[in-house]
Amino acid sequence: MSITREFKVGFLVVFTAILLIATLFYLAYEKGVFSTIHTYTLSSHSGDGFTEGMPVVFSGFNIGKVHALELNDQGLTLIKIKIPNKHVKWIRSDSSFVLYRPLIGAARIVVSSANLHSPLLPPGEIREVNTINDINDAIAKVQPLIEKITNIAENIERLTNQLSDPAGSLNRILANARKVTDTLARKKSLLEMAVDDEESVKAVHAALKKLKDITASVDGVLKKVDKMADKTDSSLYGKDGTLPQVNKILKDIIGKLEKLDTTVSNINKMSGDLSEGTKNFRILRSDIDDTVNAIDDVAKKLDDLLSTKKEPEIKLP
Amino acid sequence: MNKFLALLMAILFSACSSSQPIPQWKDKSYRQLETYKNDFLADKEDATEPHFRKAREAFAAGNDLDLLAKAYLTRMALQAAVLTDIDDSDFIRLDKLQPSALNRSYYDFIQGNFSALQKTEPPPPYNRLKSAIAGKDVAAAAREIAGMENNLSRLIACGVWVKYLPYNDSILQIAIATASEQGWSRALFAYLYKLQAYYQDRKELQKAQDIKERLEMLKK
Repeated sequence: MSITREFKVGFLVVFTAILLIATLFYLAYEKGVFSTIHTYTLSSHSGDGFTEGMPVVFSGFNIGKVHALELNDQGLTLIKIKIPNKHVKWIRSDSSFVLYRPLIGAARIVVSSANLHSPLLPPGEIREVNTINDINDAIAKVQPLIEKITNIAENIERLTNQLSDPAGSLNRILANARKVTDTLARKKSLLEMAVDDEESVKAVHAALKKLKDITASVDGVLKKVDKMADKTDSSLYGKDGTLPQVNKILKDIIGKLEKLDTTVSNINKMSGDLSEGTKNFRILRSDIDDTVNAIDDVAKKLDDLLSTKKEPEIKLP
Repeated sequence: MNKFLALLMAILFSACSSSQPIPQWKDKSYRQLETYKNDFLADKEDATEPHFRKAREAFAAGNDLDLLAKAYLTRMALQAAVLTDIDDSDFIRLDKLQPSALNRSYYDFIQGNFSALQKTEPPPPYNRLKSAIAGKDVAAAAREIAGMENNLSRLIACGVWVKYLPYNDSILQIAIATASEQGWSRALFAYLYKLQAYYQDRKELQKAQDIKERLEMLKK
């Protein structure tokens, strides 16, 4: 028995067609075209973040997708999800549904089932969807940090304002320090600085000068007396002798000593004032030292902060 | 926005800051010496020379005799620049302790030991004056001094030349212009007095009188 060519061709065509259809059916079956689809309804207070076609995920696997979004009479968003029959087993009555919006990546509905032995979720029951929003969480975490940074920036701004403000504290301190150093540089002596009265200092100088003059005079008198010892009685006691001159000189000495007494009293009085002033001066000096040190510290810190300088090279001019 | 910019600046500045801080004595000595130079020339440094003393103390803290010698040489150079007497006692002691050819040649130049400098090179930037010094050529000296870039070096060169070599009014005018430009009053008055004396010696009485009146007005 021979098989005709026509039969062979017909057989090949029919076989190929059957194979093709079987393959298509198989693929459709595998893709769940013929499986029963269960629809569940979820609710949310806001439809924000939900989209149609959004995947429904259980343990990281897609088990369904959002089919439709609706708004009910109470203003709640109803999210209808379709779950194929083979995945329905993951949807239990104690399952929780969470809208997960990651910082990076697409949003999805995550299903978690604590007990897989609990009864299946009835299709008519509406479950609420909670939301996890990484973006908002991140913002919430960053918010206090931003506030702190803002505070720091405000402090820096205030500091720089104070530094640049001519009437600011630092400038006032610098102005005071300058005033004090100017005074130190201008005053001719420590005495003048302590007493802070140029006239008084002049008086002290004048008194000291006078004292020096008087000392010189007394010294001269003593020399004269020494010379007198060598002279004879007549020349000593005569009318124009030395003794009357000595008397005269002695009177002069007494007069000068009286002046000296007054001068010494003045000096004593001023020394008393000066010793009181010296105490104040020491306190003032310590205050100046503190201020200068404080300014120096600030300057060094600023210098350290801002400096990009290299090591200074000390060269001959 | 401004706050964030300020913060960013602060962070950038702190990022730029050197990880290896400069030793405090070096920083302090450098700053004090610079202040001393300016204050000395501006006649703000009184007889106790506080900034020089602080610079000297900072150098001493660093145990660096060479830098200490340079500080003393700087003071001597400034004294030469304002035509006053030069106190070299401290440098002589240091130079015996730790001799340095460069410091010695600088010392010779400041002290006017030009014969010693004929064997060695004068220190820069004064080496360009070598031939002018050898020939006592005032015109060449004025030219070379005027060409010096550093104001203080120019003034020091003027001071050394005026102290030890025959000079003319052009060198004095260079010194006066330099001192005026920088506000160095001590140097300015020293050279104005010198110029007045120069004109008087040359019987140019009108010019001398003009300088005198100028001095009176400036010092008023």
